Amino acid sequence: MKIRESRVAATKIEAQMAPMIDVVFQLLIFFMLTLKIIPVEGDFNINMPIGQQATESPDITPPPIKVRLIANEDGSLAGVQMNQRQLGNDSLAFDRLNAEIGNLVGRRDNPFADELEVEIDADYNLHYRFVISAVSACAGCVAPESGRVVRCVDLVKLGPPRRPAG
Amino acid sequence: MRYKKHESSVIEPDMTPMIDIVFQLIAFFMMVTNFEQTQADERVKLPSDQLARPPVVSREKVLVINVGFVRDKEGEKTDPTAYVFEGDSKTPVLEYGPRLKEEKRVAEALYGPGGHKDMIIEIRADAETPTGLVQELIKLAQEAGFEKFSLRAKQLIR
Repeated sequence: MKIRESRVAATKIEAQMAPMIDVVFQLLIFFMLTLKIIPVEGDFNINMPIGQQATESPDITPPPIKVRLIANEDGSLAGVQMNQRQLGNDSLAFDRLNAEIGNLVGRRDNPFADELEVEIDADYNLHYRFVISAVSACAGCVAPESGRVVRCVDLVKLGPPRRPAG
Repeated sequence: MRYKKHESSVIEPDMTPMIDIVFQLIAFFMMVTNFEQTQADERVKLPSDQLARPPVVSREKVLVINVGFVRDKEGEKTDPTAYVFEGDSKTPVLEYGPRLKEEKRVAEALYGPGGHKDMIIEIRADAETPTGLVQELIKLAQEAGFEKFSLRAKQLIR
């Protein structure tokens, strides 16, 4: 039996690359233009309930730990105090604060370790970066071996603003 | 006259490697582009801290407030007043109260009565902002009815 050869040429469909390349370049240009290199940001929750003084809970809660941040005239740090204790004004002051808070939270005889609250009372003109350092020192620390965050105090609040006289 | 048939001499370049690279580039830019932090203002020089880690679960109801100074190209302050930046407009911090009340109305329209109470006010303040102004801003927000606050900082990687 003779098989007839088909005269129809093989219809190989060639995909049109030009439109796809157009679209791909459009996408590429869009992503290149919208790219904005931003460093990773995190945040600290602060506990600022309205009418915070009027607590009706019958449970006895410990008074908040007072952290006082004193400023120089130019807004730099003049001193850190915790419950009236001087912790210095150098770069290690916040490390000392962190160690003090850690001692309080870690004490086994402290029944209120989970309910501890810190109130940060800063001078009006103090640069905000020092408040962040204080909030961070109270909130916890990073374990040097594992790099994990070890939480100390969850309830951190800012005191009322100390408006300058006049 | 007879013409010799010649094969077409048009050189067709191989597009495959180029498409591969272009797709790689697209994938890279897609991964790097962060659409969530579009509310961040570049004029604000945030303080940095090791403990500032991004939240594990992304928040839904957030109002970001950018507080900073007008700076020149070198980053020097040209005006000592701290402003709240919103796009091209800037408002002195102490005059931001009415705007916060508007935000409360918008939140209530979006999420129903009391919806603003679940909204977190994220304060992105410049490292040199006087703390008193941040406290005043929180107070204004409390007066407008907001209850939840967070302070943003850059993550410091050591």
